[in-house]
This record gives sequence, C-alpha cells and structure tokens, in this order.
Amino acid sequence: MKLREICEILEADIVHGEDPDREIDKVGAADLMSDVLTHSTRGSLLLTGLTNSQVIRTAEMSDIEAVCFVRGKRPQAGVIKLGEEMGIPVLVTRFSMYEACGKLYMKGLRGCEHN
Amino acid sequence: MKEVTKIQELVYELRMRDVMRKDVISVSPDMQMGRLRELFKTKRISGTPVVDGGGLVGIVSIEDFIKWLSGGGGECRISEKMTRRVETFYDDEALVHALTKMERSGYGRFPIIDRQTGGMCGIVTKGNIIEGLLKKIEIDYHEEEVRKYRASHIFEDIRADKSTLICQYRIAGRKLTEAGETASGLKTTLKRLGFHPDIVRRSAIIAYEAETNVIIYAKEGKMIVKVEPAEIYMKVEDKGPGIPDVEKVLEPGFSTAPDWVRELGFGAGMGLPNIKKCSDRMVLNSTVGKGTCLEATVVIGPTR
Amino acid sequence: MKLQKLIERMDLEVRSGRGAPDVEIRRGYVSDLLSDVIAHAQEAELWITLQTHVNIVAVASMKGLAGIILVQGREPERATVERAEKEKVPILVTKLPAYEMAGKLYDLLNAEKG
Repeated sequence: MKLREICEILEADIVHGEDPDREIDKVGAADLMSDVLTHSTRGSLLLTGLTNSQVIRTAEMSDIEAVCFVRGKRPQAGVIKLGEEMGIPVLVTRFSMYEACGKLYMKGLRGCEHN
Repeated sequence: MKEVTKIQELVYELRMRDVMRKDVISVSPDMQMGRLRELFKTKRISGTPVVDGGGLVGIVSIEDFIKWLSGGGGECRISEKMTRRVETFYDDEALVHALTKMERSGYGRFPIIDRQTGGMCGIVTKGNIIEGLLKKIEIDYHEEEVRKYRASHIFEDIRADKSTLICQYRIAGRKLTEAGETASGLKTTLKRLGFHPDIVRRSAIIAYEAETNVIIYAKEGKMIVKVEPAEIYMKVEDKGPGIPDVEKVLEPGFSTAPDWVRELGFGAGMGLPNIKKCSDRMVLNSTVGKGTCLEATVVIGPTR
Repeated sequence: MKLQKLIERMDLEVRSGRGAPDVEIRRGYVSDLLSDVIAHAQEAELWITLQTHVNIVAVASMKGLAGIILVQGREPERATVERAEKEKVPILVTKLPAYEMAGKLYDLLNAEKG
C-alpha cells in the first residue's frame, strides 16, 4: 500500500516526507524501541506513542520505511529534522494507537515477523 | 546528450510489466456512456478497456466520450461508441514498441496481455511510461552512487594476505535521547562499503544497543570496529559500574534499568539478548567497579 | 463484548482469570509506557502490551481496565500473576504482535456493533 493511502486512512498529516508513493507492506506498533529492533521491519510503517529522536534512530537502524506518531503528538523540531536527514517520512495521526492499528488492519495490512 | 542516450537505452531495456498500471479499471460493453463521466473523474483516468465475460472487446477513451457528448449525448451503451480495434502488447515486450505505436497511430493507451495466461494484466499510457523511466533513472543514479563508494574495490585493490579497515568511535557524555549517532555513523559507513543490507542492519542494531547501554549505565566508552571482507568485528568498552551477573543479563526481560529509561522506550531487558541474536559470535566480559567489554562479530557469508 | 467471548474467539491463554468471564470490553488500548496508560487509558479498555512487570497490575486496577493482554507470547512474571489474582485483573497471553492483536480486536468489536 502506498504511504499516501495510509495517510488517508489515518487522516494523518505528513509532517515531512518527500515521497508519498513509497510502498509500505506491513505495520508494527510499539513503544519499546528494543522490541522494534528484534523484528524484521524492512519496508514497514512504525506506529508509536513515543516522540523522541530514538524512534527515528531505531527506524534508521532497522530499515523502517516511515514513522507515524499517534494521538496527535507532534514531535519536537529536532526529531522532525532528524527524520528529514535520514530520509524517513514522519506522520502524525489524531487516532490512538489502538484505533490506528484497527483501521490499517481492516485495510489488509499485516504485522511484522520476529527475526 | 547523455540523458537522451540513457533514455534511449532504457526504452529498449524496460518491459511493459515494469511500467504498466496493474489495478486496471475496466467497464462492461453494456454500461451507459453517461456513467463514464463519473468513472473518469473519480479514478482520474482518461480511458478504460471494455471487457465482456473476461475477454477484451474494445477500449473507450475520453475522446470517445467527448465525441458522444458533442453528438448530443443521448442514451446509449459503451459498445456502440467504443473503439473495437484494440492494439495490445505482451507484458514482456520492450517499451519502445508502445512508444513507436503511439507516435504512428495516435493511440493513448494499450492493454497489456500476460503472455502466459493470455489474460489482460495491465494497461500502459504515456504517463506510465514517463513515470517508469524517471523511476528507473533515479534508481540507476542511486546505484551508481553506492558503487562509487564500494570498498570491496578497496579490499580487492589492496595487495596483502590480510587487510582490515579499523573505525573508532567515541561514545561520550551524551544524553540518552541523543544515542544513535555512533551506530548511525557505522551504518552509513558499512552501506558505502557495499555490504549486504542484512549485514548492515545487524551490525547497526548491535552498535545501537551497545551504544545505548553505554550511555545509560556508563556515561562514556568507545567502540572499535574492524571491517574485513569476511567479517565485521565490534568491540565496545566502558569504565562503568560493571555487570554482577553476566548470565542473567542475557535472559530476555531481565533489566536493571531505572524508570526514566523505560519511559524512553529502552531498558526492557531486550538489548543484550538482541545483540546476541544479531551476532554470529558474542563475548561479554565485565568486572564490577571496573567496566564492561562487549565483543560481537557478524560473519559475512550466505545471508540469514 | 464479554472478555470470555474474546478469549474463546481468539484462543487466548489465561494466566490470571479471576473475575474474567463477565468483564465487558469497550475497546482496546495499546501501549508499553506505564505513564501513558495512567494518563490516557479509560475504564473497560483492554490493555495490549509487552510489559510483564508487576506494576502493570497496579496500573490496570487503578484505571479500571478490563484486563491485560501480553503479546508476542510474553509470559507474566510470577509476582505479576500473584498480584493479578489478588486484584482480580485478568491477564491473557497471545502469540500475536501488538499490531495484529489490536487489529483483530478492533475488527471483532466493530462487527459486534454492526
């Protein structure tokens, strides 16, 4: 599914991200970044309630395609800038983590497997 | 001039299936012409194949629609206004054929037929071709950039029985929220050296978890990375408080992290077990009151 | 939906079941941060998390949550189970990751609402 469609489903703003045509083929929901690092997340979207720079770093290390912050939490400018430098699009949705998971799952996107 | 030659090459190299739109919207010959207005508008297309019982019977475009409108727009079925002689191409044919046909015939879109099944599997318009070419050029440039940095060349160029590239990183005096710079630096380096993405990812995760541990528990330390054609060896040392029970910290879920660390998304007892999982060899040595030394090796072989 | 029905529908394993069957689930809440749950979770929500620490029971009980589902096959610590039995907080276990567990719950609750 294209990032653009995900934005529509989640009614999300792309805070920054130059390529809305990126393909996303799975989703992970997590607040524990160490947990994210134990999954095969290449090409995935990460939904998270954390908004610090560790999220972007984790995404960078594990080849995550895009990051979406839930419950309308906008990260600080430094975090967005890091996303920009790393070429990782940053989204913000007003939905809770639970609702965001539900809406994407209903559209057929599946989870990430353990490594 | 170089650009032109490149594109000329690509139209021979790229196949229909590389650029075609796969989710083709088709209509039935019995549909009313009037309904095309809505379809063209909502799907943002300018023409669509007409399919009857699975078989392609024609194509109807915005030109046909306008012709019908200017002729009064009376009630009539698509089958009466569609173009019946449809030019098609096979999915494995080169783009150049579609381009030539477009120029000569003025047709704007071609249904693409799967050579194996004989069924329609996509559609190609001028827009798809341009998009496909641009994407390919972008990918090629990216690959060229990576190739420019490939150090496998370096290893090939060095005349020695054994050659090693050593990178040193200082992990020092940073806040946890800034952890990741060391791992990021290593990841970029390994990528430029042309290692397989899986090797790069595993090495980066090891470095990231180790770096985070140093920052949480020891405040400062250093990482030495030895890169060889056959393996990547990482050694992370700190002068922190040390680990009393080395066996225990390798159990998933065991953690001594304070709450503030947990609230930042770390310290859930997954770090060291994850480092172990990502590495092919791992040695953890620690002396309470002196410090900790972690050695991890990623072997470059068949990917896992 | 009653928790008992969800347990049957999704083959969840029960680690602490006192008071579980009659609990009504309103929706899910996905989080691994205790402070976030304390601040934002609401009554009768089913908490989906990776955290197995004993503190999760106190948080669930304080917020009046319907129960806790541990994902990715995480097992609760023994102290967590003991505390949960005492405070009548249901604890369930699934092999699914948080995203899929939440997705399936959302799907089931939606279907029930019609």
